[in-house]
Amino acid sequence: MSTTAIRTAHNLVTREPYYQPVGNEIAVFAAAYHNQLPVLLKGPTGCGKTRFIEYMAWYLKRPMVTVACHDDLTASDLIGRYLVKGGETVWVDGPLTGAVRHGSICYLDEVVEARKDTSVVIHPLCDDRRLLPIEKLGEVLTAPPEFCLAISYNPGYQSVLKDLKQSTRQRFVALEFNYPNAELEQTIIEKESGVDAAIARQLVKFGHMTRNLKGSGLDEGASTRLLVNAGKLMASDVSPVVATDAAIAQALTDDDDMLKAIHELSRSIF
Amino acid sequence: MSDESRQNILNRLRIQKDLEKFTAGALARHPNLEELIAAIAALERDEQDQIYRSAELVARTNNELAAQFIAKAPAAFHAMGGDGVQEWLDGAIQVFDHRGLGFAVDFLEDIDSFAEAYAGRHAQCMFDQASVFLRHFVRGLGGRELRIATDEDTYTDTEGLYLPASFNVFPDAEQNFTLYKLTAVHLWAQTWYGTWRYQVLEKLMRHFDTDKVLPIFNRLECIRLDACLARELPGVAREMAVFGCHDEEEEQLWAQWREAAPMLASAAATAEDSLALIPALLGSPLPPLKLYQGEMFAGKVRQAMFARIEREKSAFQRAMEDMRNEGDGPEGAGADAAQKQMVDMQPTDNEDGSEANLSMQVSMDGKLQQLPEHLKDLVGSILQDFGEIPDEHMERMDLGEYSDDLLPQNGDNDADGNADLSAEGSFSYREWDCVRNRFREGFCTLRELTVPPGDERFVEETLEKHRGLMKSIKKTFEAVLGESKLQRRQSDGDDIDLDAVIEAYADVANGREMSEYLYTRYRNQERNIAVMFMVDMSGSTLGWVNDAERESLVLLCEALELLGDRYAIYGFSGRTNKRCEVYKIKEFDESYNLEVRQRISGIRPKAYTRMGVAIRHLGHLLHETRARTKLLITLSDGRPEDYGGYKGKYGIEDTRHALLETRQGGIHSFCITIDNEAQEYLPHMYGPANYAVIDEVQKLPYKVADIYRRLTT
Repeated sequence: MSTTAIRTAHNLVTREPYYQPVGNEIAVFAAAYHNQLPVLLKGPTGCGKTRFIEYMAWYLKRPMVTVACHDDLTASDLIGRYLVKGGETVWVDGPLTGAVRHGSICYLDEVVEARKDTSVVIHPLCDDRRLLPIEKLGEVLTAPPEFCLAISYNPGYQSVLKDLKQSTRQRFVALEFNYPNAELEQTIIEKESGVDAAIARQLVKFGHMTRNLKGSGLDEGASTRLLVNAGKLMASDVSPVVATDAAIAQALTDDDDMLKAIHELSRSIF
Repeated sequence: MSDESRQNILNRLRIQKDLEKFTAGALARHPNLEELIAAIAALERDEQDQIYRSAELVARTNNELAAQFIAKAPAAFHAMGGDGVQEWLDGAIQVFDHRGLGFAVDFLEDIDSFAEAYAGRHAQCMFDQASVFLRHFVRGLGGRELRIATDEDTYTDTEGLYLPASFNVFPDAEQNFTLYKLTAVHLWAQTWYGTWRYQVLEKLMRHFDTDKVLPIFNRLECIRLDACLARELPGVAREMAVFGCHDEEEEQLWAQWREAAPMLASAAATAEDSLALIPALLGSPLPPLKLYQGEMFAGKVRQAMFARIEREKSAFQRAMEDMRNEGDGPEGAGADAAQKQMVDMQPTDNEDGSEANLSMQVSMDGKLQQLPEHLKDLVGSILQDFGEIPDEHMERMDLGEYSDDLLPQNGDNDADGNADLSAEGSFSYREWDCVRNRFREGFCTLRELTVPPGDERFVEETLEKHRGLMKSIKKTFEAVLGESKLQRRQSDGDDIDLDAVIEAYADVANGREMSEYLYTRYRNQERNIAVMFMVDMSGSTLGWVNDAERESLVLLCEALELLGDRYAIYGFSGRTNKRCEVYKIKEFDESYNLEVRQRISGIRPKAYTRMGVAIRHLGHLLHETRARTKLLITLSDGRPEDYGGYKGKYGIEDTRHALLETRQGGIHSFCITIDNEAQEYLPHMYGPANYAVIDEVQKLPYKVADIYRRLTT
């Protein structure tokens, strides 16, 4: 088995990703991009933020770098570090530096998860200076006009420790995402999973039922992504109730009563 | 003779000997002793043990009774299993105690009828077994949040679903459980598919002899709702078809009715069509109610609905007023009353003509606006009642009522306002006046008092009452603590941080200074959190709420001691701006000692809720403590309100302002409330994700700890 290393610089999105616009987000993002403004995507998990960025990378014909942020992600993970090779030290660019050098779109997914020191790096890059200081190299990179920084953030988390600081969020053009309306969601499920219209409609209805439960026992309802997953299982001949149990109910909760309620809701529809 | 049969014979002899010993020979008089012993020998080992144990016990009371029990035991085990046999024997002993041996023996003889009753009892499904499930399930189906409760009658008043305390219709518990589900769905369908629309109810009450036609209306609606469910929830409809009727005859009667009312099966049918059919069916024989069908009580519905309509109308008008104010900024051109602002409705689901899935779009001055998230439930509920937003709701709020809300604060209007201002621990705070759009400097006088100690047994009782809960709270909190994390770049530690070493090596090779932070170490993350709990001690908390608040505080203190977070607890109340009071329960530097416990137990409802000044004071205290994360959590049961005009918009705006001020000082605020109407004002005061509404007071103790854990991890 061979593996192919994808060079971030060449990470062009060549095929048009499937994306259904909900409002005017494409125009807003494109305008922000051309005005060299960074973009903040807000919205619950699985509503299409990452897919949107992929689509925009294709639309704007720019390579794209995605960094999934986690709580151990430090500034040097983004910028880069020296490595030692045969007694010599070699500098290796981090994903953010690479993106700045090549004028890519850099997407920091779930940015609140990253360590606080990353904001030091992001800030000068996000205002009109558009600078990336690389202390170790003694360099300051100026971002080319093609470079764009996008971050995502889920405002639904209620933890005070994971909040985006005002000084950070006020540097961005913010786009709010939510689950698409029923018709659109049905189209998306049909297209993505290959089930027919009737099943897609039932899945949407089921999705809405779980979203009714948000706040009354569930932290989140089923996202569009979960509905698509369940649709894919159904398209591979898994029976609907089994598919929703596996792809949705078990993914949403561990609570027995809640699992049973979701299971019965599914049975009542399919 | 084979070993096995020899073993068998020995076994039987042993059983016979043992049992005869227990019953002091009474068993020996049994006519078919050999058969009986063989039957006992054929039982499972644990069943034999049970016979031995029970026989020995019963024999202490009466030998004959024990012998009778042994004689019937094998048959009893076949009929109902171990638990049933135990219950059967307990019953027999009770009969023996009250009525003597003869009746007790009769009781033992009649195994069959006991077994039948026993099976019935154990096949039934109790409400408690199904209630949590039903709550989730009905919530998932959609619409207004409905209370699920038990009642003698099965019905809905459109605010709640009232179900029997148990179902015992089928021989199988699982089937009875399903019947619960179907009954709940049927009643939910009445609220969802417009059986109790305002217009329908009015017609029903006005044009008909309600008591006489209600049973007919109930059957017609059942036909229509079954058809609706068959379209929307085919799975439920399949089960309803199986569980609906007792027998063939009933089924035929229903079929006749369905034939008489074919239009009810169409997707466009409404409850008005059912009303129109009533005269035609007056006098026809009524089919018996379906198993999952409830009664109908128009009076109860009317009562609940009218109260709700009033409540929601004013809430809606308030919300529209807010939107108008936000929309056109300071009172300018928008204040022109002639400017009509329209609300449009758009059905999202027009394919199958189902009218229940309505969604709303607000268009204001012709511009489309997104309906705010917190209004969706409210608008949804109004649509469930009316099918549209009635014109009345769109009218501007009665100005008289509204201006009352904004009565200018008249300061010392209070006869007994001569509080002792020179007293120690008195502070002066400003208040935001939204009428004048400026602060009233030094308007509020606040005193810090201490809660008088109460009975400390309350704490022990609470811990005892919530023992199970405490365990699970402790477990989840310990999990928070136990999350030891790998800390990188430490000056000393358990292992080498390879990244750091390579970097340091690179630095050296480049001729720079080498870092000394080269180790990794596992350590619990330091929690640097200070939290202030602000407890509502207003008069409205009297009773349940007060108890729940105190219980929550006890559980919370236990949990917080475990975490080691710094915390303080203060109550607040007051009457007028001159007599605002906060009550110290625990300071930041105080330990969770006996005195604190007594104070928690001594928390009692006082007067009103002037929230702004309490937030300013406690925010100030919190500000002065040192912690990386500072949190102000309010436990409350309603909107801010005080004597002398501090209510409605004025109170909310002042509170919101006070929260904004504390937020600027780096303090996060969060509100936990049990006020069902909190959705209207809390997002405005605290911001969208910064509050939690708890629907049942009893859940408060659990929820508070759970929310705290979620907030700080």
